[in-house]
Order: sequence, then structure tokens, then C-alpha cells
Amino acid sequence: MTRSNVTHTTRQKLAAVALSLVPGAIGLNAVATNTAQAAPATTIKLYNDKGAWDKYFAAVGNLAKKDIGVAVQPVGYTNEDTYDALIDASFRTHIKPNVFTWHTGAQLQEVVKQGDLASTSSIWKQGIADGDLTTGVEKYYTVDGRQYCVPLYVSYYVMYYNKDIFAKYHLAPPSTWAELLQVAKTLKQHGVTPFYATDVLFSFLWFEQLLVGSNPTLYNNLESGKASYLSPGVVAVMKEWRTLIDDGYFTNPAITTAPQVLLKTGAVAMEPWGTWFTGNMKLVDAPPSSYGMFVIPPENTHLAKVPMIFETGPICVPTGAPDMSADMKFLKWWTTPAPESYWASVTSDTGADPKAAAPSASIAAIDKYASGPKVQVVNRYYEATPAPILNTALSELGAFMVNPNSYMSDLKTIQATAAQYWSSHSAS
Amino acid sequence: MARVRLAPRSPKPQVAKPLATAPFIAPAVLVVVALMYLPFLYSVYISFTSYNGLGAPRWDGIANYVQLFHDPEMADAIRNTAVWVAGGVVVPVVLGLGLAVLTYGMRHGPWYRLPFLLPYAMSGAGIAVIWGFILQPGGAFGDILKLLGIPGSSTAWLSYWPDSTLAMVVASAWQATGVNCLLFVVGLQAVPVAVLEAAEIDGAKAFTKFVRVTLPLLRPMTIVVVGLAIVGTLKTFDIVWVMTQGGPGYTSTTLATAMYSQTFVANSYGYGAAIAVLLTVVTGLASATYLKQQVQVGAAKR
Repeated sequence: MTRSNVTHTTRQKLAAVALSLVPGAIGLNAVATNTAQAAPATTIKLYNDKGAWDKYFAAVGNLAKKDIGVAVQPVGYTNEDTYDALIDASFRTHIKPNVFTWHTGAQLQEVVKQGDLASTSSIWKQGIADGDLTTGVEKYYTVDGRQYCVPLYVSYYVMYYNKDIFAKYHLAPPSTWAELLQVAKTLKQHGVTPFYATDVLFSFLWFEQLLVGSNPTLYNNLESGKASYLSPGVVAVMKEWRTLIDDGYFTNPAITTAPQVLLKTGAVAMEPWGTWFTGNMKLVDAPPSSYGMFVIPPENTHLAKVPMIFETGPICVPTGAPDMSADMKFLKWWTTPAPESYWASVTSDTGADPKAAAPSASIAAIDKYASGPKVQVVNRYYEATPAPILNTALSELGAFMVNPNSYMSDLKTIQATAAQYWSSHSAS
Repeated sequence: MARVRLAPRSPKPQVAKPLATAPFIAPAVLVVVALMYLPFLYSVYISFTSYNGLGAPRWDGIANYVQLFHDPEMADAIRNTAVWVAGGVVVPVVLGLGLAVLTYGMRHGPWYRLPFLLPYAMSGAGIAVIWGFILQPGGAFGDILKLLGIPGSSTAWLSYWPDSTLAMVVASAWQATGVNCLLFVVGLQAVPVAVLEAAEIDGAKAFTKFVRVTLPLLRPMTIVVVGLAIVGTLKTFDIVWVMTQGGPGYTSTTLATAMYSQTFVANSYGYGAAIAVLLTVVTGLASATYLKQQVQVGAAKR
């Protein structure tokens, strides 16, 4: 009796407070909108799931204001799940972001097929003609023959290694898969864990690397629903991965210490990461001379081109964007060398524009090699896989790493989800 | 039934005409309806659809509910949630009670209780990060084992079931014990000294006094503490999500983490909503059954 009275009173108070806030909020919104319309300089809102980079976005915005008269107000989120749900929901409303960061692969296709993105074909055409954009990357921004979004960043997956450890055991960066395994064997004999692995989120790292290195076509077919997770090629990769686990080549996947710390301290000798990882190494003050990176040699020596996994994050304009001409102007400007060079320098990564200045010689070398004729770029598993399949796969691959003998049942579970997904989505 | 029990026993207060009170109540009712009941009804609707967050939900009948019973992830989630309720009720409640009884009335008692209460000031996510470091292979817990010469210093406690779930229950108990203790201390303050003295005069030893006098008199507080623990553990999310994300595989998932990952990671909004409805029904039934039974027992004793 008493309790129920208390609850009601509290609820009423809360409700009263909440209600009194609502008109205020509406009023503020109205004021904000009016001001934006009255101001001479165009300000666009850049929604992103990279909240930690808000100051970088703001700095690029200042550059844009000077160059093209478009000021940028970053709206950063730090939780990707929340962010994705927000953007998905915004498509069904009249309140849309001017520009927003998104994902390539299945998530890009889904929103394009829903008619939610404005095409950027003309920007791509011009960009490729000017040498600011590349055809290798264009493929991942193309849905049904038209382009959408532009690359915010491009990262290539390479092997980071601890130079001190390599020097101590007189090892050189390997140029073949056999050499890589030999390096791992030597390290293991000296009590050094060769490779980094984790069962949380990045459980796909070694799966994609082993599969892409042995059969990139199968990998692409798997991602587009044309191949099964039970294909002999996929099963072989899991068996091989199991052998490497049994050989003790990986860190315990349950270790939660940050990978950059493990590499810096030499707790592990090699880690496969996107070139953005240089930024992580900087965060822990690892001297640039203490670590290096090499292209991961493919296991299959008969491949015409070296497959390199790459990760690219798009920046997009939605259909019915608040200020289409300014929004598109900003996107077009983003593909040019000045912002790309700035972005590469603050993120210590490769620039999406080949003409952008690289932040270091080693990044420049990777960038040049990756955009050269010897390389076939392959989209990262995380972006390439549709969300429901990815969710199952990340869990199952994590379970596999803990219990490597379960590979067949893990693959069957992933395939069951994949079959269910592709039965209601046409394989592309 | 419930309405009858909650009806005021005091003389009927003078209530103004309903029409006169309506404008005062309406804003609150509107907010509650708009922010609580409508979203809940919408979730129930979504649970009968197939929906990926884009476009429009597609009616799917009871397919999501059928899937609940065939999904190995759900079997793990239900099993782990049961472990959480059992462990999360017993461990922190017993520890909290023990701590309260041992330190109550003692000189500097509050100072002995303070260290146990401090973790309560932290967020669940913060606790999870710290315990993740402690429990990782070669982490602080492993170091302690090594120092004491106990094997298992490089065990990955969070990699295998049931270690993973049990370890997380311990982490959660570490946080919950202190506040349970505090609640029991408040309960102990309400125990009349005269009754305890009477028991002593009758020759009751400390243990008998505790079991026969203190514990029964603590009953109202115990009902609250246990009730809160049941509801709290049924919806366990933060610690599990931060420490293992329900993995490896689905081995450490709970109903709440499964609901989140299906909805926001797999973008299966319909299925996620079905799990949410299940969780709501289970939590509602469990709390109602528990409280009803406890209140009836209490009433009968009186």
C-alpha cells in the first residue's frame, strides 16, 4: 500500500519533469533551425560512429570551410550498434543526416536497395579521371552499376611485427607462406608466441586471412551467398587453422590486454592488422623503429595476384539529404588530396586518395604496393558478410578457437544461418 | 485479487470528481503511455514480424517464438540465466547477511563494511573491465595462484563453461554484497533490543538467537533483498556483454545479451523482440510468484 503510493508519486514527479522539458526542447530546436537557415555559411552535420575522432572531423571541417565554404559539425557516436540503429531509423523519418559514415559490403547493399542513398557516380567518374580514386576500390562502392558514397579511409591488412624480436633471432620479414611458417616455428622454439589471435570481435582475422590466401574466389563467393561454409575449401582452411593452433602459434584468445601492448612488449611477435594499427602503436608510445609491417604472403603460390584484405569505411549522403548540393560538394571535396593527406596524417594510415601524402615511409610503401598491378584487394570479412551471418560466424569462430576440434559443427551452425539469410535475400 | 489487497484500509479520502482530477493526471499518464506502454506494445508487435531495421516489418506470425524453442543459443541463454539467478541470489545475499550480522554492533563496524560497499559505487561495465583483466590468462588471479604455488595460473577462466559464467557471477557478487549488507544492517537496526535480551535471558546461545530471533525478524528486508536480486540477475547484461559478449560461441550468453545481439548486432529485430517479450514474461512471473508467496506466508504467520 505504502510502496504503491510512493511509486505513483515518483512517477508523477518524473512525468511532470519530463513533460516540462518537452516544450523547451522543441523551442530550442526551432531556434537552432532558424539560425542555421539565416547564417550565410552552410553548416552540414557529419554523423559518424567514430566519436573519438570528433576533433579530427572538426579540423577537416575547418579546412572545408576555407576551401569550399561548407562548415562541418561532427555528431559522433562511440557505440556502433546504437549508431547503426539510429541511421537505419533516420531513413524512415524526415530528419536525415547531411553526410554520415557507413559500411561497405552487405550493409551498403541493403540501404541502397532500400533506396536510401544518393548516388555518387559522377564524383567517382571525375575522381578516377583525376587519379583521386581507384577502380580497385570503386568495386566496393558499386551496387547494380551505380556508385554510392566515397571512401572516408582505406586500410590494407598487413602483418605488424616486433623488429627487436626479429633481430634477436636473426629473422627477416618472409616473402612466402612457407617462410612465414618457418619464422613462426623458430620463434616458437625460442619461447616467443608468433601470432596474435582473439576470440572477441576479431575472431574472423585468421579465418579470412587463411581463406583469402588460399582461394580468394571462394572467399568472394562465400560472401555473396554463392558458396557454402561447408565447401571443401572452407573446411580445409579450418583444419589448417586448427593445426596452427595445435602448434601453439597463437596467443591465448582470451587475453584482454590490448594488442598494441602485446606487440610493443614483445609478448607476441606478429599481429595481422589494418594499416590503421600504426595509430594504436602510437597511442602506447611504441618507437616507430621498434615495429615494422610486411605484406602477408598468400599460401597459394599459383595466384596471379597477391590478395590483400582491405577495409574501407564510406562517407555517404542519404536520399533526401537536408542540403543536397552542399552535402555532395563536401563529398566530392573529400576525395581530393588535401583532406585525404590531412586525414592520413592524423590517423597514421593510408589515404584513400593515391595522391595523398602518406604519414610515413612504411605506410607509403604499403600504399604504393597495394594500389599497384600485382595486388587484388579483397573486402574485409566484417564488412563483406551480412549482419546475421556475421553475428553467428564471429561467435562460432570464437568458440572454435577455444575448442578447435569443433570446427565442423561450428561451420554447420554458420552455414545454417547463411542458408536462412540467402533464402530470403537473392545472392548477388 | 491484488487490487483488493492494495485497497486503502483507512477511511475513504475525499476524492474530487474524476473530471476535475483528469487534467492533472493526464500529462503524467500521457508520458507513461508514450514512453513505456506504446514502446512495449510496439516491441510485442515487432516480435511477430521479420524485420531488419530497414523498410517495413513483414508479418511473420509466431515464427520467432517457434524459433526460440529450436535455437541452441536460447538453450545456452536460458541455462546461463538460471545459473545467474541461482548464483546471483545465493552468493551476495548470504555474504551480505553474514557480513551485516558479524559487523553489526561491533566497534568500528561501518569501517569494516566500507570496503565491501565501495564496489557498489562503480558501474557494472567498469567492474567487468577490471575483472576481465584479473581473470585473463596470466592475469592478476593467475599471478596469485602462481605465488601460492597453486596450479592453473594460465587458465582462461572466461573461455570455458561453466567457469566463465561462475566467474562472472563472482564478479557481480563482489559488487552486490556490500549493498545487500547495508540493507541488512538497516533491517538489523529495526530488530528490537528487548526481544534479543529476552532470548538471552531464556538461555539462547548466539547461533540459536540468530536463527530463531534475528533471522525471522529480518524477514521483510530479506524479501526485498532477494526480490531485487531475482529481478536484477534475470536481466543480467552489462557484466556479460563487456567480459565475454556472451562467448566464446554462445556459451556464456544470457537472455538479455541474446536479446541485444540478435536485435542490434544481427539486425534481427523481430527475433530480438521475441526474446525481449520472453524475458519480460519470465521476469514478471518470477517476481509476482515470489512476492505473492512471500507476502502470503508473511500474512499467515501474522
